[in-house]
Amino acid sequence: MRPRRDGRRRGIGLLAAALITAPALAGCGSDDQGVVLRFYTPADGATQYAQAAADCTEAAGGRYRIEQRTLPRQADEQRLQLARRIVGGDETLDILGMDVTWTAEFAEAGWIRPFPPRVADQVRQGTLEAAYETGTWENRLFAAPLNTNTQLLWYRTDLMPGGRPPQTWDEMIDIAEQLATQDRPSWIEVQAAQYEGLTVWFNTLLTSAGGRIVGEDGTTVRLREGDATRQALGVMKRVATARGVDPSLSQRDEGASRLAMEDGNAAFQVNYPFVLPGIQENDGGSFIDERGNPTSRDTGRRVGDVFAWAPYPAVEPGGDANVTIGGLNLAVSSTSRYPPQAFEAVQCLRNRPNQLRNAIDGGVPPTLEALYTDPAFQREYPAWRAIKASLDDASVRPESPAYQSISIVISALLNPPSEIDPHAMVGELASQVEAAVNSEGLVP
Amino acid sequence: MTVAAPQRPAAGDARRSEGAKAERRLAAWLCAPAVIVMLAVTAYPIGYAVWLSLLRYDLRFPQEREFVGLSNYLAVLTDGYWWSAFTVTVAVTVVSVAIELALGLGLALIMHRTLFGRGTVRTLVLIPYGMVTVAAAFSWQYAWTPGTGYLANLLPEGSAPLTEQIPALAIVVLAEVWKTTPFMALLLLAGLALVPDDLLRAAQVDGAGPWQRLTRIILPMMKPAILVALLFRTLDAFRIFDNIYVLTRGNNGTASVSILGYDNLFKAFNLGIGSAISITIFICVAIIAFLFVKGFGAAAPGSEPEGRR
Amino acid sequence: MAVVATPGRKAGWSLLNLLVIVYALIPVLWIASLSFKPTSSVTDGNFIPRELTLDNYAGIFATSQFTRALINSIGIAIIATALAVTIGTMAAYAIARLNFPGKKLLIGVSLMIAMFPQISLVSPLFEIERAVGLFDTWPGLILPYITFSLPLAIYTLSAFFREIPWELEKAAKMDGATPAQAFRSVIVPLAAPGVVTSAILVFIFCWNDFLFAISLTSTEASRTVPAAISNFTGSSQFEEPTGSIAAAAMVITIPIILFVLFFQRRIVAGLTSGAVKG
Repeated sequence: MRPRRDGRRRGIGLLAAALITAPALAGCGSDDQGVVLRFYTPADGATQYAQAAADCTEAAGGRYRIEQRTLPRQADEQRLQLARRIVGGDETLDILGMDVTWTAEFAEAGWIRPFPPRVADQVRQGTLEAAYETGTWENRLFAAPLNTNTQLLWYRTDLMPGGRPPQTWDEMIDIAEQLATQDRPSWIEVQAAQYEGLTVWFNTLLTSAGGRIVGEDGTTVRLREGDATRQALGVMKRVATARGVDPSLSQRDEGASRLAMEDGNAAFQVNYPFVLPGIQENDGGSFIDERGNPTSRDTGRRVGDVFAWAPYPAVEPGGDANVTIGGLNLAVSSTSRYPPQAFEAVQCLRNRPNQLRNAIDGGVPPTLEALYTDPAFQREYPAWRAIKASLDDASVRPESPAYQSISIVISALLNPPSEIDPHAMVGELASQVEAAVNSEGLVP
Repeated sequence: MTVAAPQRPAAGDARRSEGAKAERRLAAWLCAPAVIVMLAVTAYPIGYAVWLSLLRYDLRFPQEREFVGLSNYLAVLTDGYWWSAFTVTVAVTVVSVAIELALGLGLALIMHRTLFGRGTVRTLVLIPYGMVTVAAAFSWQYAWTPGTGYLANLLPEGSAPLTEQIPALAIVVLAEVWKTTPFMALLLLAGLALVPDDLLRAAQVDGAGPWQRLTRIILPMMKPAILVALLFRTLDAFRIFDNIYVLTRGNNGTASVSILGYDNLFKAFNLGIGSAISITIFICVAIIAFLFVKGFGAAAPGSEPEGRR
Repeated sequence: MAVVATPGRKAGWSLLNLLVIVYALIPVLWIASLSFKPTSSVTDGNFIPRELTLDNYAGIFATSQFTRALINSIGIAIIATALAVTIGTMAAYAIARLNFPGKKLLIGVSLMIAMFPQISLVSPLFEIERAVGLFDTWPGLILPYITFSLPLAIYTLSAFFREIPWELEKAAKMDGATPAQAFRSVIVPLAAPGVVTSAILVFIFCWNDFLFAISLTSTEASRTVPAAISNFTGSSQFEEPTGSIAAAAMVITIPIILFVLFFQRRIVAGLTSGAVKG
């Protein structure tokens, strides 16, 4: 899943979108002008990727030209389009912007090329370990990490007893229920709609409780082992049935969670760092009164004034959370006619200046470790310390060629979270994931 | 195919049989393109789909392609998602076709009887039939999206009908009904035109009220038209795809069997399971058609006039 | 029944007519309204836009994503219609006019295809077209469109053909014309209205298709408008492409509305021909 990013440069985005499409139009039928590498990216952050493409074209000194192309909005649709074009033998795909969860599937199916060992070594140098892992399958690098992403706990300082954020989910739920009895904002915003975000929430809770969805081999389902699955499901159930819960919780995605917090109704949210530039863009969100409730009155105080972040809550007291890592990797399509040039271009597209631009303009955390010590980056990225810490403890989603099916059955089964039965559901969840792993069952 | 042995020998003189032969030859030439295209694009692929449905064939595991017999069908028929999609499809079909029949009958009566503006009404009613389903579906989607839509804003604050199963299915039915009622109405209108006015007038003189005239005379006389309309619409509704795809993507328990098949083919790239679903849908459709034709005596359109000429 | 047009009845019928008109037009007017709203007010929920703009139309026509799709839609629908109607006319003539064994089978087969669930063909066609290189090409869509519209063409056309005064054909035959000549010189001109009707119906069918369009295409090379619309991207994650989708929906709806206005009688006759005669 690719977390949402900053939308603050919407105006520029529009302009850029117009500029990007113009060359695409002109580019029709001009295949013979040397090597053209087509670089497919999500719509989100397309502006930065187009700039990177232009810069790297210049750096290539005429050996190749990189054309950025934008994929559909939803991650599912992006994957569908890429995969379908590759199986259709489309030779105009070169560099693919890939969700971190697609690596195993695309690699196993032979849709993307493994990196040559020399290039893979260079990519590994200075790249965050957890991010690098997301691009590998069976010990080979198939996709070079461009951006990474992780969630933090975002909370309202004015609503915390003692001003201190909770350390665990249980603590957080207790605070929220207390707030509800006081008629103050009590929602805990999580991504609980029936989509990838719900799988991410579950995976984070599960790994924080010491469990895993599948083993290293990508085929052994480990949901039945130990008590972690039940614990994770228990937390989800408690959040969804707590007193003062957001009535629309089962329909919330990242954007809706962010807006619920900006509107002043939520005390907490777990979400990606884009929420910080987001609330700044909206002038700090709604006004709040002295009890912290949203008001249309100009009280001189806004949500943004009491908005803070903390490490993601743990499942067990004293434990750490292992937050599911997100982000975007770059791979080279197996149908590309110019693999050597494409691999070279990938290295350029993910170089330090380009990653810095993605972080500052697009709000996405970089994958080059060195950037985290860069003062320019730290200045532009106030939450960097918490983000880096969270990335160091990150957990990876199941690496399996059938990941998509696994995720679909999980999110279908766990939505709405208020109807989870933590005891009864472990077995059903495990057997459905087993069927998905073996591509035996149906996906809903 | 048309050069098969003649069914009954022409009982005429030699000249007539000569003419019959020429006629048959011409018929063969005229029908050949249609037959070839239809066989090439349906019969062969459907046979191929049957073959695919017997394989374990997942594009994500290209090396693991093997023959697995009927186990894909077993997987489909023992899967909760299939039965959920099946139930949704049957429910949407039954509810929307029932509403369409009632509304379509009303619409046909209006078009048949209205005192003025008949041409305008008949023309405008064709717009839903002609409007691209996807375009209309987006119209409904935005109408029911909180904030954007004029209809969603009539609902209590915070409700998002497209994200809950029953309200979402109700909207799917609404979109289906809107789109296809005119078609139903036109079929019924044609049937209505066959009901003689004299008969109705006589019944009126005999003291039959409007309701009695409808149930005792109009409906029985329209039965063939109604059955054909029902058959067409039932089979059409059973393969519902566009509206659900646009309105809900099949989320929150709103997937139809066609959506389920599509998702297994293109989200999971599982050609084996996907083909098994496809063939199962095909069999369902065949059963429905069989029930209509045998059970209700629906005359398959076009099936009668051959024989005589 | 002869009804006296009392003012009360008149008002009643006016109301009913009005209801029907509102019913037919509301979704069209709504999508039109959305398509004219500027981005700033597209989410205001008003049925009647407060301010009007053509930006959405300008926007979609500025991108190849839409213009290419429009060209694809028009080209594919026209070619498929021409072929389906040609092939259908031949078969329909044979069915309506000639005695030959296997006629029942032919009608049965095309009836089956008319009722065929398209999804059942998607997986094999995806595989076959990938293998023979038709995937994501115009012929790759035209072929299934012809097939699925043939039954429609054959029904409407054979119904029309049965109405044609055949004495003329007989007269032509008596003048020494072969059946083939009689077909060409007498029947074709007489059948033209029927052919136009079935062409319209087939065109609407091809224009409307979505399942094949999203399954058998992957790029601008052959993606038609309905499929392209569902792939529209907003300029940022937080921006729904509502206005662009609405504008594109309007663009593909207008030709159909024009067809309907011009050919209302024909369409009605065509749609009902199969049903009543059967």
